[in-house]
Amino acid sequence: MATNFTSYSSPNFDKKLSKREHLKKELPKQGFLLVAAALILIYGIIFYYIPLFGWITAFQNYKPATGFLHSEFIGFKKFQMLFEDKTFWQVFRNTVCMGIINLILHFATAIIFALLLNELRNMVAKKFIQTISYLPHFLSWIIVTAIVHDALSSEGAINELLLNLHIIDKAISFFSVKAYFWPIVALSNVWKETGWNAIIYLAAITSIDPALYEAAEIDGAGRWQKMAYITLPSLKPTIMILLLINIGNVLNAGFEVQYILGNDVIRSVSDTIDIYVLKWGISQFDFSLGTAAGIFKSVVSIIIVFAANYAAKLSGEERLF
Amino acid sequence: MKTRKIVSVAMAGLMATSAIAACNNKTAGGAKEFSSFFCTAATVEVTDDNEIKKIITEKIGASCKETWLTGQDAGEAIGVLMASGEYPDFINGGDSSKQLYEAGALVAWDDYIDKYPNIKEFYTDYEWDQFRQSDGHIYWMNPFDNIYGEDRTTEHSGEAFWIQVRVLEWAGYPEIRTLDEYFDLLEDYNAENPETPEGATNIPYTILCEDWRYFCLENAPEFLDGYPNDGSCIVDPETETIVDYNTTPTARAYFLKLNEEYHKGIIDPESFTQTYDEYISKLSTGRVLGMVDQWWDFAYTINDIFKSSDTEQYGYNYVPVPITIDGRDNQWYTPGGQLNVSSGIAITTSCKDVEGAFKFIDDLLGQEILDLRNWGVKDTDYYVDADGLYARTDEQVANCADTNYKSTHMCPYSYFPNYSGTSRDGINAMTPSQQPSLFMATLPEPVKACFEAYGAETYVDMLHSVNNAGVWFPMWSYSNNMNTSTDGGTAFTRMGECKHEWLPVVVMSDDFDADWEAYQAAYAETKPEDFIAEMQQELNNRITNYNNFMDAN
Repeated sequence: MATNFTSYSSPNFDKKLSKREHLKKELPKQGFLLVAAALILIYGIIFYYIPLFGWITAFQNYKPATGFLHSEFIGFKKFQMLFEDKTFWQVFRNTVCMGIINLILHFATAIIFALLLNELRNMVAKKFIQTISYLPHFLSWIIVTAIVHDALSSEGAINELLLNLHIIDKAISFFSVKAYFWPIVALSNVWKETGWNAIIYLAAITSIDPALYEAAEIDGAGRWQKMAYITLPSLKPTIMILLLINIGNVLNAGFEVQYILGNDVIRSVSDTIDIYVLKWGISQFDFSLGTAAGIFKSVVSIIIVFAANYAAKLSGEERLF
Repeated sequence: MKTRKIVSVAMAGLMATSAIAACNNKTAGGAKEFSSFFCTAATVEVTDDNEIKKIITEKIGASCKETWLTGQDAGEAIGVLMASGEYPDFINGGDSSKQLYEAGALVAWDDYIDKYPNIKEFYTDYEWDQFRQSDGHIYWMNPFDNIYGEDRTTEHSGEAFWIQVRVLEWAGYPEIRTLDEYFDLLEDYNAENPETPEGATNIPYTILCEDWRYFCLENAPEFLDGYPNDGSCIVDPETETIVDYNTTPTARAYFLKLNEEYHKGIIDPESFTQTYDEYISKLSTGRVLGMVDQWWDFAYTINDIFKSSDTEQYGYNYVPVPITIDGRDNQWYTPGGQLNVSSGIAITTSCKDVEGAFKFIDDLLGQEILDLRNWGVKDTDYYVDADGLYARTDEQVANCADTNYKSTHMCPYSYFPNYSGTSRDGINAMTPSQQPSLFMATLPEPVKACFEAYGAETYVDMLHSVNNAGVWFPMWSYSNNMNTSTDGGTAFTRMGECKHEWLPVVVMSDDFDADWEAYQAAYAETKPEDFIAEMQQELNNRITNYNNFMDAN
């Protein structure tokens, strides 16, 4: 990171100065930047690296009474337990599937929404829709899940509507059918985040050179053609970078939504890895098993990010590193 | 990324505990303030400037800030506290009490009990011995179900099949003795009266299944076979052996009945997805005709709602019915003085003033303070008549049922040790609900009429309870504390998961026989025999301990 802060002074000029003089000259200029970088580095060490010490519990039969230092060391036994547990593979499947559905919908809806919004010519309407659409982002999941739960209950708004339209003749119990759960989670995500996710694309669209559009118009391109041949290709680097960043989050398919909306009937499709960790690691006091599941999830996430980045590199696209 | 989640959970826990720690033993105006955490959601949370709390603080020079479970389940809350290693002064770990002991978080009581007469008096020596953990020390006392002097139990405070009195009244108070009769009555009533007197649609029967409260679904087979509530198993008193109630013919008959009723539309389709809050709000509208539940799990909340919303007149209140699978005699054991050694109030190693904490518990058990906790302020919340009997005017009764009044005025310290039974003055009951005159005076008219029709004076009489539970009773005080560190405990956890998943499937099934077979197969895979073996071991221990004690005395 620090290399980004080197000043671009002339190389000829640099050569004439000794290292020490160079430092003397540059330090005051870069002082603030160095301090800022150091602070971020310290923050990272304290909050991301030091807690990693806790990973040691995954290799121990950890008991709070004996602590990190005196708990029995058991190697990979907890991982073995984890991989032999059918429930774990079930929650792993749930997490991956919900993660992928979320990822795809996240991109599709945000991009389409940004493109459509961009075509609105009435500025007042555009601002109004944009504001309304990103407001749900600021609601916590607790509120959103309560709304979803209420709307989908057997006497909720959705069932009332369907009954009154005579589409169904008996209220649907949405939360007791396994097949409905993933779509409910996905649509809740879309409702909450589409407006917010579209902002970054809208910003990227404003930076597209207007000359391109003018040239296209002269060539006789209509609105759809401008969208397809100018706006979308110009967004490609943004999309690629965001995709690479978000793909590492596939295994963070969610915790609150599934935790609150899930119930015993649909437990086998609703539980995610995070809930598994909470259940076995915290509620059942098997901190070691919980940590092992967490490590597994982190390792898989890292592999996915590197693989995606490598694939991007091979195909000559924009990439992270 | 996972670590971050754990860290953030831990940080949240830290923040919560540091908030608690911040007021550790704070001395405000000379009075100590203790912190506490109780592993259950609050029924009523008392406000900081609660009036009776202030009076108690002035009298005993100490108070306690009560913190309750919100959102999480009990295990999660205790797990987070354990991960942080910081505890409040008092803690009731519920089913996780043993984990707190194993984590070395609790102070041993042995050196203190004799110094505090009210604490000492709470149990006999034999009872105190039951609380000893594997290292031979005592770490907690259970705050509930302790009878002082003469027993005055008026409520069936345990589990039962409940029914609204309006249903019984409509049918002319018939004798209901079997599961079939019970559901027939619900069906007949609902066919003729599909709505409540207020015009809302009836829900003939609902089942609460959320988390640990799924006992409302799963353990009825033990009652239906005529056994008392040992919670997780049946004890055959003849052979002194543990019987698994999940696989009995009665269990199958019971779930088959639920399945039939589900398809008839008698059972609430939201049963398996509703939360506890939703369940309580359904009950409080008077729409639910019947259900299985524990008295303490619903009655304290909804009876007060019926009273303050003036809907008692419609016969919404519930009474228990003594049903079994085929009308055989039952032992609906009404737990008056049962001893639950599996959990209780404990003092943690984080407490800076252990003596002060014991003194606080001791002071709360003094008669003057007990009256304040249970009855309220004299001449404000109750009056004393010429014979020295405590009584309440209609206005006082109404006040004490009001939620706002309960949180700003009444201070029961409900998770600190308390008595039922008779007051030390020898005349009054410890708690208003057990004062005979007051019990009758506050009983809703429809319930009174129902009691008269059945020749009952209390809820307990409605059940014809046979109180002959064995010396081992209740076995759940052992199974509640089991965890995955033993084979039996692992099996118990797996059994619970399996039942949570399968029982709703079985009840909603379109092909009961096939799904029942599949459920029984999945259940057998959880190794219930490991659990039964451990319970049998405990049963033998309890019988041996009791015999040894009797021989020694």
